Amino acid sequence: MAKITRRSFVGIMAASTTALSMPSIAFGALPRVVVIGGGAGGATAAKYIAKDSKGAVDVTLVEASKRYYTCFFSNLYLGDFRNYGSIGHNYYGLAVNHGVNMVHEWASSVNGAEKKVYLGSGATVSYDKLVISPGIDLKFNSVNGYSPEAQSIMPHAWKSGTQVQLLKNQVKGMKKGGTFVMVPPPNPYRCPPGPYERISMIAHQFKKTNPTAKIVVLDPKNKFSKQGLFMEGWQKHYPGMIEWISADTHGGIKKINTSTMEFETDLDTFKADAASVIPAQQAGRIAMNAGVNKGDWCPIVPASMQSQADENIYVLGDASIAKSMPKSGFSANSQAKVAANHIRGSLTGSKVFAPRFANTCWSLVATNDGIKVGANYDAKPDKINKTSGFISKTGEDSNLRKATYEESIGWYSGITSDMFS
Amino acid sequence: MKSKFVFFSIIILLLFSNKILADDKALAGADFEYGQHLSGECVTCHNSTGLGQGIPKITGMNTAVFIKKILAYKTKEKDNAVMQMVADRLGEEEINSLALYLSKTK
Ligand SMILES: Cc1cc2nc3c(=O)[nH]c(=O)nc-3n(C[C@H](O)[C@H](O)[C@H](O)COP(=O)(O)OP(=O)(O)OC[C@H]3O[C@@H](n4cnc5c(N)ncnc54)[C@H](O)[C@@H]3O)c2cc1C
Repeated sequence: MAKITRRSFVGIMAASTTALSMPSIAFGALPRVVVIGGGAGGATAAKYIAKDSKGAVDVTLVEASKRYYTCFFSNLYLGDFRNYGSIGHNYYGLAVNHGVNMVHEWASSVNGAEKKVYLGSGATVSYDKLVISPGIDLKFNSVNGYSPEAQSIMPHAWKSGTQVQLLKNQVKGMKKGGTFVMVPPPNPYRCPPGPYERISMIAHQFKKTNPTAKIVVLDPKNKFSKQGLFMEGWQKHYPGMIEWISADTHGGIKKINTSTMEFETDLDTFKADAASVIPAQQAGRIAMNAGVNKGDWCPIVPASMQSQADENIYVLGDASIAKSMPKSGFSANSQAKVAANHIRGSLTGSKVFAPRFANTCWSLVATNDGIKVGANYDAKPDKINKTSGFISKTGEDSNLRKATYEESIGWYSGITSDMFS
Repeated sequence: MKSKFVFFSIIILLLFSNKILADDKALAGADFEYGQHLSGECVTCHNSTGLGQGIPKITGMNTAVFIKKILAYKTKEKDNAVMQMVADRLGEEEINSLALYLSKTK
């Protein structure tokens, strides 16, 4: 008999408990998880399943792009607080540090009965558990006159990629004293304060380079996230520049014309020199293909983020109906950790802890003027339930606002390293 | 050979239980694995590589220092809306588990 050292003794103990806790898995064949979408939800889920299972689960991440440009902080890029390169991230860390198998392809369909994902190249990947976190698709025809062709004229910049660069060029190139028209999306949509942070950052840009420019906001809603805080900030930093017009006031956007740059409403026809139109949204197409949607979004089981339609599929982030959580990167990251713990538990017998969800969204109104809103959530059978929350207050002192902005920089660095390294 | 093995096993178990008792006294209900799981919530903001700006690094923190800070947020002695909210739902077992895990993590 070989000499048993303390280390090998402990090793044998560990090996035997692992084997006991994985009764259903044949030796040599690792359980397989496939994740579709390497954004805030998918990258986090892939990392945590791979990292915490320490090689006991085979994780494949199917992501169309080799580089992920975050939508979060893309508004800060518009305001010159970030450069474009600084919001781009690659997947080397997931592959090298955690052994995630990266497949840079488009997932074209899902067969839930056979537990297979079909890729654009024609290849297939089988799974025991599938995570779908594809973000959003835009409903172009929700705004009469808007279309995929029109997105180069009036960029939405609401999905990761080059749209935001185009928008920035148009903002910077707009004629002196011109009018910028912005159409925010109707509820529900990704990042509730996002359109208003964008307005703030475009105003900040104009204040520096085009101070007589005007911004007209034709909102399909009558109120919006952090409204009091944004309105106060606009008055303070950009007096007279921004005109926000509620749905009840303009009576509805009847039609937009991308060649004359006109926006027709009941109230008036507005002519733009540059514009951004953010249409209504729905879950990324692959979720519809997998049949886990009910209408535009995907119902989930709050305790695990499992689809209500298929227990082997988990839907995270913007695509899910995670009421009362907002559709945000922070929420998607939080949901991913709940799902990862549950998936690992069901595949390896590891401990499944009670789900805990959280969200905080920071927004920048002007230089060193940051605001935030956040909440804790727990899982009730029928919904993700808000248990407590906070929001910045109007009239806060400038030191606190500066600290809040600095905190948002820390958060960005934290969440992106949590996702990608 | 066999008796030697049993002897060493007993020694190891004694060493372990002593350690656990010592930790138990200081950190009631602390569980390393639970702490690791809970820390997922921290690292969304607190950079795990320690490069974060505006938000301090919390890994490698002394258990007593960590517990003191969290309690100060819980009682709202220390300001920060996010941290007050985070601390609000952490019970003793959670705080101690986090303290244990973070103190042992680089
Ligand atoms: C302007 C703006 C500002 C924002 N600011 C913030 C903020 O400050 N804080 C915050 O928390 N959130 C913010 N958000 C929201 C945040 O970006 C989203 O909520 C978050 O990205 C959602 O994560 P997700 O995983 O659901 O989707 P995404 O992050 O969009 O990831 C989806 C990924 O899936 C890939 N994909 C989709 N379909 C397929 C397929 N069939 N095959 C292969 N790959 C596929 C896509 O390429 C993409 O990389 C902001 C959003 C915008 C637009």
